Parts: sequence; C-alpha cells; structure tokens
Amino acid sequence: MERKYLYLDYLTCIGCETCETVCDFIHDGSPHIRIYVTENKQYLPINCKHCDDAPCVRVCPTNAIYRDEDGAVRIAENRCIGCLACLQVCPYGVPFYSLKVRAITKCDMCADRREEGLEPACALMCPAEAIQYGPLEMVLELVNERRAKNIPEHQRELSDEELRESVSSGYVLL
Amino acid sequence: MRGIKFSFLCKEKPPQTGKRVAIVGAGPAGLTAAGYLVCKGHDVDIYDKMPEPGGLMLFVIPEFRIPVERVRLGAKELEEEFEVTYYPKTKVMEGEREDEGDEFYERAVRLSELRENYDAVLIATGIWNVRRIGIPGDDLEGILSPLELLFWIKGAELGYVPKEKVPDLKGKRVGIIGAGLTAVDAAFECNRLGAEVEIFYRRTIREAPAGAYEINILRNRGVKWFELVTPKRVIGENGRVKAIELLRTRLGEPDETGRRRPIPIEGSEFQVELDYLVFAIGMVSTPPVNGSYIATDKRGRIVVDSRHMTSVEGIFAAGDVVNGPTKVGRAIKDGLYAAVSIDRWLRGES
Ligand SMILES: Cc1cc2nc3c(=O)[nH]c(=O)nc-3n(C[C@H](O)[C@H](O)[C@H](O)COP(=O)(O)OP(=O)(O)OC[C@H]3O[C@@H](n4cnc5c(N)ncnc54)[C@H](O)[C@@H]3O)c2cc1C
Ligand code: SF4
Ligand code: SF4
Repeated sequence: MERKYLYLDYLTCIGCETCETVCDFIHDGSPHIRIYVTENKQYLPINCKHCDDAPCVRVCPTNAIYRDEDGAVRIAENRCIGCLACLQVCPYGVPFYSLKVRAITKCDMCADRREEGLEPACALMCPAEAIQYGPLEMVLELVNERRAKNIPEHQRELSDEELRESVSSGYVLL
Repeated sequence: MRGIKFSFLCKEKPPQTGKRVAIVGAGPAGLTAAGYLVCKGHDVDIYDKMPEPGGLMLFVIPEFRIPVERVRLGAKELEEEFEVTYYPKTKVMEGEREDEGDEFYERAVRLSELRENYDAVLIATGIWNVRRIGIPGDDLEGILSPLELLFWIKGAELGYVPKEKVPDLKGKRVGIIGAGLTAVDAAFECNRLGAEVEIFYRRTIREAPAGAYEINILRNRGVKWFELVTPKRVIGENGRVKAIELLRTRLGEPDETGRRRPIPIEGSEFQVELDYLVFAIGMVSTPPVNGSYIATDKRGRIVVDSRHMTSVEGIFAAGDVVNGPTKVGRAIKDGLYAAVSIDRWLRGES
C-alpha cells in the first residue's frame, strides 16, 4: 500500500485547538495531538511526524514500535514494557505513558478509523486545512496550492529576523 | 480543497431513528453537533439568521485564517450526504431583542415552537452582540462595532453587502480599543484596506489576550500599539468622531482573572485624532430568548447542566452562547459533547 503522510503546516495553522479537541474526543480524554502555548501566546499543535527512520522505532528494545502498511508509526501495546526509551529519543516529545493501558500511547494516524475506511479526525476537521493526510505527492500539492493561494498574509511578511528566530526556536517547521 | 468533515465519525448515513432535532445556529458548535447527530441516524434541521451556514468562521473571521471554501464545502456535505435541511435567514427568538447581523433575517420562529415540533433542540447561537463601554460620546457617527466592520468587509467579499456600505478606510485613522482576537482581526483588516491603525490597550502586551506574537506581526505592518491607556471620552465634531481622549494607566494588584488591574492615572489625559473608532472590548452571548423561557446568568449566558441541557427539558445549548467568547476548537468540543447528551437523551438513557 502507498505510504501516507500526516503533515501539519505551521504556516497555515491558526491555533484554534480543533485538532486536539477531536483527537481528545475519540481517545476518551487523552489527545495524541497536543497544543502547546508559547510565552508569546502562539498556540502550536505538536503531533507525531511518523518520521522516516524513526528514532523511537530504532530504540525500542522489544520492537513494540513498528511502521504499519499505511506508513503510520504504531505501538503494539502488549509488547511495551514501559522503559520510556522512545520518549527519550523522540525530538517532539510525542509518546506518553498511559496509566489506563499501562503502556506507551501515541498517535497511530487513527488506526481504528483507517480500518473502517475513515481518515484521521484532526485532518478532516481542521478549519484552516493546516493538517493534510495522504500520499506524499497529494500532501505536497495541497500544501503548495493552499500556500500559493492563501498563506496567511501577515505570516508571509515575517521579517528575515523573525523567521530565523522562529525557525531556530522550532516554532515554524519549514 | 475539501470541506470541514463535520460528520467525521461515520462514513455514510446510517439507518434512521425517526427522531428529529432542531439546531439553532450554524456556527462550529451547531454544525459539529449536526455532524455527530446525523452519524447516529437522527434527522437534523438547522436554523440560522444569516444567509448561509458557517457562523463567525464564515462571516467574520478573515479569509486568511479560515478559507471560506473549506467552511462552505463542509456545510454542503452535511446537506447533500446527510440530508440536513438549512433554514437560513430565519431568526429564532422567544421575546424580542436586536442583535448584530439582524439585517439579514427575513423570517422569525419562536423557540417554544421548535420545542413543540422537534424531539430535541440545540441552541448554538454564539455571541452576536458587542459590549458597550458607556463613556461620553460613544454613540457618535464613525464608531463601529468590530462585528459590523468585519462583517461588512467579509460580507462584501462574499457578495452579501453592497461595496458602498464598506467604509473607505484608505488613509483614514482608525483607533481600536481592546487586545483580543477581535481587536487583532479588526486591526489586520483595517491595515489591509489602507488605514492608519492604532490599538489602545489598558494593560501591557504581556497581558494582551491575543498574545505578543500576533501583536508584533501587526506592529511590523505599521499598526501602532499604545499600551497602558484607557478611553475617557470620545470627542466629536458635527456628530462625527474627531478624536479620543485617553487616560494613562498603571498596573495594580491582580484581579479575579489573575491579571494585574489597570488603574487610571488622574490628570494624565491626552488626545489622539481619529476618523473611526472600534470598541473591541468584548462580545456578549445572544441566546434566542430575552429574560424568560430558559434560564440565563447575569452575563446573558445560557445556564446548562452536565448534560448540556437548559432549564427546559429537551432544549440543550452549546458553544459561545454558554461559555462566552472562546475559540473554534472549544465551540466544537462543546458541540460534540452536547450532541452525545442529546443522542443519549433521545434514546432514553439519561
Ligand atoms: C473577530 C473574531 C475573530 C476570531 N478569531 C478566531 C481565531 O482566529 N481562532 C479561533 O479559534 N477563534 C476565533 N474566534 C472565536 C470563534 O469564532 C468562536 O469562538 C466560535 O465561532 C464560536 O462558535 P459558535 O458555534 O458557538 O458560534 P458562532 O460561530 O457565533 O455561530 C452562531 C450562529 O448562530 C446564528 N444565530 C445567532 N443568533 C441567532 C438567532 N437568534 N436565531 C438564529 N440564528 C442565530 C449566527 O448567525 C451564527 O451563524 C474569533 C471571534 C471573533 C469575533
Ligand atoms: S485544527 Fe488546524 S488550525 Fe486548528 S490548531 Fe489544529 S492544526 Fe492548527
Ligand atoms: S513518536 Fe516521535 S520519533 Fe517516533 S515517529 Fe513520532 S515524531 Fe518520530
């Protein structure tokens, strides 16, 4: 099957919290995409990037973390021994230990929904269409189209200095 | 572009329960609730006073934040695939009250009528009135409400408002009072239309609800930012705004919101000349009742229990009309959980 991507475009995100809300709703109060608020009140959702050559997959001693056929980096909860190695190596601090399931939990690109032929809820509901889900070509095309047509006007005009500042602090991932 | 998938919980229309739900207000709370309810097999009708569904997302929030097409396609999908019926230009009201955006409605329906004709009702009418500040001169010509202003600008782009109605802001001096999302969006739009914009705020950038990030972008675009000032009176000439008189403030002890309270400094008055003035100091809930029929609190918000049910059995409420001004995500959350309760209640579970 063709690999799918879940891409979050920080240039179009308006920080409205819808993604976290719907993820929270379908995961009984434990959202897998979380909004972080910076000191200057930017609302930034952080989600699993389902990295190429993912460090969490590499470090997991029991092979509990694996990539599924759609390309999602997933966790087999029954194999997780709770050593938290994945949490240490993830550059985004994505995996978290769930006391409910007594294992690591993380975004699995809505695995249960995909089985029913539904797409990840955050991508479907984001009002700004900042979250794209699909094969790489499709995601890139949509992101470029949206950017070309409608980059938030004010963000297009970030000064060089601001842009450098935001990139080096990890706010804008270009 | 694809639409917001309000029915994200199901793939297609399930078998019908025969239960009918009326939703008042087609903003994010109402539309998301509709998405949940149609996935549970209920029949949904949505009433809104505006000419098309979308609420603030469509009519007020600038296009650069939320694409119009994304909202429109989302609402259309509910109609075409889940047979949701929209009743646009229809104001629902028990009693009388004038709200912003009322110029668009052509029919009125009573809330009690909906309660009689449907198995359940959800109110999601948001915050469609602005708070008045109550200082001398605040009724002069040239004083605009932020909703009115943003509405005209976007309404004209959407083809609902004649272009002549949008004030020509090119080269005009516009003052904006407040520092929330509304103030910031009003500032962006006025700046885009060529006005010289100045924002007046009674605290500092650290306390501004919109945050330093947004405000700094505005400042880079030439918008001026005055902190630690509060309006004392508006000065007019021939019935029109000419200037604003401001008092400087200093910050005192934290108030109930945890932010330091601004204290006006007597004798510090100064004036700034203006052509237009926008009071973006807060919006007020607009329940489809005026003082009776369902319970509201002293700020006009609808009172609900843990099931999102109002004081009238079978009438539920969600979104900004219950919580006061929030964000799209919060309204969506409320719409979802209210819909869960409605579905349970319709099935006799609680
Ligand atoms: C200027 C501005 C900028 C904003 N920017 C952002 C932002 O960048 N990000 C963010 O997350 N949030 C933002 N918000 C907040 C966000 O828009 C609201 O929190 C959200 O829209 C609330 O959703 P709702 O469904 O409760 O109400 P609304 O979106 O207000 O929808 C209410 C609907 O009810 C209808 N209605 C009202 N009264 C009646 C009646 N009596 N009869 C029939 N219909 C009625 C209205 O026409 C409307 O369609 C902004 C708000 C404003 C005002
Ligand atoms: S739903 Fe979209 S716009 Fe809103 S916070 Fe999430 S990614 Fe950003
Ligand atoms: S959990 Fe972290 S390291 Fe693993 S795939 Fe997701 S973002 Fe990459």
